Amino acid sequence: MVYFIDILLIALSAALINNFIFYYFVGACPFIGVSRNVDMAFGMGCAVTFVMSIAVFLSWTITTFILVPGAPVSTFIAGFFLSAEQAATIDLTILSYIIYIFVIASSVQFVEMYMRKFLPLLYKSFGVFLPLITTNCAIMFACLIILSKVSGVENPADAWDLGRALTLAFFGGVGFTIAIVIMAGIREELELCDIPKPFQGAAITLVVGGILALAFMGFTGVNTGLKKALTFTPVAEAEMNDSGSH
Amino acid sequence: MFEVSIGLAAATMLVMALVMSYILGWANKKFHVEVDSRVEAVLEALPGANCGGCGFLGCSDYAVSIVADGAPVNRCPVGGQGCASRLAGIMGVEVGENLPFRPIVHCGAHLKDRLGRTAYIGEQRCASANLVADVQGCTYGCLGFGDCTRACKYDAIHIVDGLAVVDYDACIGCGACAKVCPRNIITITPFRSERVMAVTCSNKDKGKDVMAVCEVGCIGCKACSRLSEVITIEDNLSVIDYDRYTAECMPGLMKACEKCPRSRLVFIGKPATEDQKEGADVELPEIVAPDFKTTVDDTEWRG
Repeated sequence: MVYFIDILLIALSAALINNFIFYYFVGACPFIGVSRNVDMAFGMGCAVTFVMSIAVFLSWTITTFILVPGAPVSTFIAGFFLSAEQAATIDLTILSYIIYIFVIASSVQFVEMYMRKFLPLLYKSFGVFLPLITTNCAIMFACLIILSKVSGVENPADAWDLGRALTLAFFGGVGFTIAIVIMAGIREELELCDIPKPFQGAAITLVVGGILALAFMGFTGVNTGLKKALTFTPVAEAEMNDSGSH
Repeated sequence: MFEVSIGLAAATMLVMALVMSYILGWANKKFHVEVDSRVEAVLEALPGANCGGCGFLGCSDYAVSIVADGAPVNRCPVGGQGCASRLAGIMGVEVGENLPFRPIVHCGAHLKDRLGRTAYIGEQRCASANLVADVQGCTYGCLGFGDCTRACKYDAIHIVDGLAVVDYDACIGCGACAKVCPRNIITITPFRSERVMAVTCSNKDKGKDVMAVCEVGCIGCKACSRLSEVITIEDNLSVIDYDRYTAECMPGLMKACEKCPRSRLVFIGKPATEDQKEGADVELPEIVAPDFKTTVDDTEWRG
């Protein structure tokens, strides 16, 4: 039960409350670049979601099994050369950035080949933006969140499992899609508006993006309130009352 | 300890590189898409201006259309004949007759020739001025606010004394100016020679009405159509049929040109070589380089 609440909160947080674009301001280049019409924006959102899930899956696996101190694979190999205690302290997290970039670049390459073969229309409409996902900071950012959740925890039992990591990645991508589709819808309407000359083009886009970010700030704090509401039990309340009366 | 860390890091990178390259290599073979090598060759031969003058979305779209749908190879206005023959070589087809298409502004009235003008203080665009009545008497002619100048990506059309004038040296014939002109007085015409005869008027009104609004407009007197067979009168306006415009028609056209009471039949295009020779003797004022010092006021203040 606690696990499901956790998953739900992670999903909600990634998609709306701590939206990658509107809260962390990562992935802003495709957000501005591909938000000209809704169809393409939705396609871009789907591609980012897909690539993010693959990249997080791979980077979670590599982080958990190889990079963090006490990871099974590295401990096992180091065990041939060192004592068991020393082997468990081998820390390869310094490799995290280069490995994530490596993983993201290869998975984008893979997705590109796959799409070129089986989804040529989508491939054509993406054009240059699919390779650009490679350098999309939103995906790198998702991987780095996973790193902090896996290796930065004091208690090893608190480290995120694959389910949590994939939830974050998938719903982070969904949040990205929501953001970029809203933006594309607004920009399609903006085409028909009489915008003053100095505001035309990038300027009005950034203004709209800023106002959207402000609107999404309305979600701030929803996750803590929700967590309190979901984990509320009479026992906990009784304990709180006890501590209060003392 | 230290060496083991370094060794493990190196081994991790190496193994990952091997695994990833194996997967990508496999995917490359598995998901291989047959791309017609001619598409790339055609794309290479096209100038890459992406102007859309061919009627396709850009150079790459045109290249795909040539190879896949057999689109004509002579559509590129930028590359012209040379490009068309290269494309024909790649595709193995005969090149059709490929004439450069260039715009002709069918209005010849400068500001002083236009009658019935009123002060217009609205937005200085042809598109807006065209919505308002009485900006000038002639409802067919050039408005002179330069929508075509703004539309041109090649700096090839300018407003000279209230009239759009094409710079045929810079023009590539993409047709952006013709699309944007609210009065549709710019036509994209095949130029059979560097200079072609053109009727520089678009007024379809009767002669009396034209005379009321313009000093130089075509009055539909039919003098030219009697002298040249390629000129017809449609709606009180002389029209040259450019499909039949050949060197044989030139004597008749020249006669018509001399006969025209309003001098509306004029040569348009790059200047003839003899004209250029004549003009070479004329002394032009020297081009003055900007002297930025003049904008700096370094006079001392003696108050």
